[in-house]
Amino acid sequence: MKRHLLWLMAALAVLIVFPFIFGPLQTNLMVRFAIEALFAVSLNLLLSFTGLLSFGHALYFGVGAYGAALILTHLEGIPLVLAVLLSGLAAALVGLLLSPLLVRVRATAFTMLTLAFGQLLYVLCSKFREVTGGEDGIMGWTTPPLRLPGVFSLDVTQPLYIYFFALGLSGLGILAMWYFTKTPMGSVMISIRDNQKRVDYLGYQVVLTKAVIFCLSGFFAGLAGAIYAVFNNLVSVGGVLHIMVSFQPLMAILVGGIGTFFGPILGSGLLLMLEEATQAYPELAQMISGLIFIAVVLFLPGGAISFGARLRGWWQKRAYLRKAREIAA
Amino acid sequence: MKISKRLLLLGLIAAALVMASLGAHPALAAGAAAGFDPKAVSDMTGFDPTKYENPSGEVVKIGVLAPFSGDAASVGQLYWATSAWVAADINKRGGIMVDGKKKKIALIKGDTMGKPATTKQAVEKLCLQDKVDVLWGTSGSHLTAIIQAEAAKYNKLHLNSHSLSDNLMEGKSFTPYTFQYIWPTYSVGNTLAKYYASRKERKFYILDQDYVFGHELAESFKAGLKQYVPDAQIVGEDYHPLFNKDFAPYLTKVKASGAEVIFTGDWMPDSSNLIKQSRQMGINTPIAGIFLDDINALIAVGPEGSKGMVFASQMLINYQDGIQAKWHEAWKTWPAPYNTALYEWLGSTTGSYVESLYWLLDVMQRAGATAPDKVIKAWEGDEWLGLIGEKLTMRACDHRVVRDTYVTEFVSPNKWYQDCAYLDQLVTIPAEFVTLAPPKDSERCK
Repeated sequence: MKRHLLWLMAALAVLIVFPFIFGPLQTNLMVRFAIEALFAVSLNLLLSFTGLLSFGHALYFGVGAYGAALILTHLEGIPLVLAVLLSGLAAALVGLLLSPLLVRVRATAFTMLTLAFGQLLYVLCSKFREVTGGEDGIMGWTTPPLRLPGVFSLDVTQPLYIYFFALGLSGLGILAMWYFTKTPMGSVMISIRDNQKRVDYLGYQVVLTKAVIFCLSGFFAGLAGAIYAVFNNLVSVGGVLHIMVSFQPLMAILVGGIGTFFGPILGSGLLLMLEEATQAYPELAQMISGLIFIAVVLFLPGGAISFGARLRGWWQKRAYLRKAREIAA
Repeated sequence: MKISKRLLLLGLIAAALVMASLGAHPALAAGAAAGFDPKAVSDMTGFDPTKYENPSGEVVKIGVLAPFSGDAASVGQLYWATSAWVAADINKRGGIMVDGKKKKIALIKGDTMGKPATTKQAVEKLCLQDKVDVLWGTSGSHLTAIIQAEAAKYNKLHLNSHSLSDNLMEGKSFTPYTFQYIWPTYSVGNTLAKYYASRKERKFYILDQDYVFGHELAESFKAGLKQYVPDAQIVGEDYHPLFNKDFAPYLTKVKASGAEVIFTGDWMPDSSNLIKQSRQMGINTPIAGIFLDDINALIAVGPEGSKGMVFASQMLINYQDGIQAKWHEAWKTWPAPYNTALYEWLGSTTGSYVESLYWLLDVMQRAGATAPDKVIKAWEGDEWLGLIGEKLTMRACDHRVVRDTYVTEFVSPNKWYQDCAYLDQLVTIPAEFVTLAPPKDSERCK
């Protein structure tokens, strides 16, 4: 426990000094990492902990992003944190509205239904130009400062402050989701993944639990979308509702490690690093990321987070074989 | 009146001082008729865009913002071939005289992927990491709006080479760092409407990309028709997503509408797919547009399929000597993807890219600096003669270009290509008919 705490303190110290050591470009990269990690963990709640594969998680991300953009554009003077939280709540509300349909289906039907809803919102927002700006999106609103009256007022359009804002909110969001997995309801969630029928027979409210999970997952995905909107000062259908936006956290989960809580965070970081590394070869970037994805699925099915354990296992096996050979000799 | 020797001497000294001070002004020092000099273009034999390498030492860095990957990667290739050409040419001449020394040109790619968020990241990287002097690009007004905002944020010059939206240089969008080289949608609408005033076609079907540029262009064309062709009819109007894969549903409606002309602002790859798919479906309705110069698409539909198309542009090169001859000669050795007919000659799009960069570098040289404030000062109100000797004036208050525009009907045979119809005779629409008035809400323009 003490060792974990030490690690956590060290990580926090690194994160705090990061923007002062690296330039604004790397700081912005960390903001993107914070957003994508939060988004991936929110999807992971459905995939790894409830056993539901969603192809339409961009729906919640998009609602959060558009929510923040519309609130900040039309409600002048609204506190920034309130705008972001309201956007997350809007996404949770969408989750609640869709839950009567989604809780009743599983497996392929669930995946297809989420895909359909995601695409439906994509098309609706593309066509509803008057509100969403269509393909052009919404941009150029004045972002209010992050303010605690009498204490501080920070301009979050500056890389340093958006960094702490995004990292703080994402960190709190991830912590809240981690805590949720440790609660009794979190245990029911995992049981649903393992055997939904048995959980039902035991008298637990499967439908209600699933609805809560949808809302929770939607809320945090929406929160990630809202931070994205504040960070980019721009929201467009292609950027927040495209089908690839749904696949992005899915890739992070698979690359990082499905079935684990922290795997998606690692996966988000790795994918971002890969994206940065291949920026100089834009023609090859997608091909390289595709090849890496295939390699991970084939040779490291537990994801990057399992790499250490795999390496340890390989090393132990090697040592055992060497010893066996020595005994035989 | 008797003039004493002393007075004469004083007069001469005063005149000399005036001349000297005028000479110190960069624009006047270079002579009144600044412009593209075809004779100054280097011997470009052996130039190959795929092998272009940036020079070492102190350089002027240009950030080339284009979709180098994704659905519109072919557009990125156009940007690269043309910017590499201009950079290689200027570098062969020894560079440009700025900041007290001769500096060569370096190009750094910024891949927009045709997406807003990626565009923002690309601009940030160019400004913060690569520390470019100028941002050049891009296609897509919604993306250009982002570049403009970021350029102003990081105090970088931005030359908008190919986004036409009228809104870009108006109201809150205007920033002194951006110059809109390309003609605005207002000019396109009025150019084509004025052209059709003297023709028999009266039924138009508008088919545009579903974003700010497509909608604005449609409105401009409708307003132009109202003014110049009041009896014209819009028999249909549709907007498709950017980088659309299937035009069949739209083309079926076009066929049913009885349209005599399909009006479109589509750019590659949409324009190319629209041309090919319409002819494959047996719809030979003439297409009128501004990005119809994808020669590969024209060749795919042959002389019959491409004949009668009406092509409007801010700049059409109708000669084969000078820079065209040098480009054509160099092209003969280019490997893929530049070995196709699309690159055989400088077309309207490629020619415009080249022209915009030559102008930018000429202005920088005359400003004698790379600092944005000095370049802005030199460019505002600048008069320059372009690739076809046309007069371009950079309007000082809103950074838009005042220029004549051109329309042509593709014919076959022509002097350019055997396998497709292409331009022959140009119709010039004078600037007075197509120039967008300065924005009324701008303090700078009052």
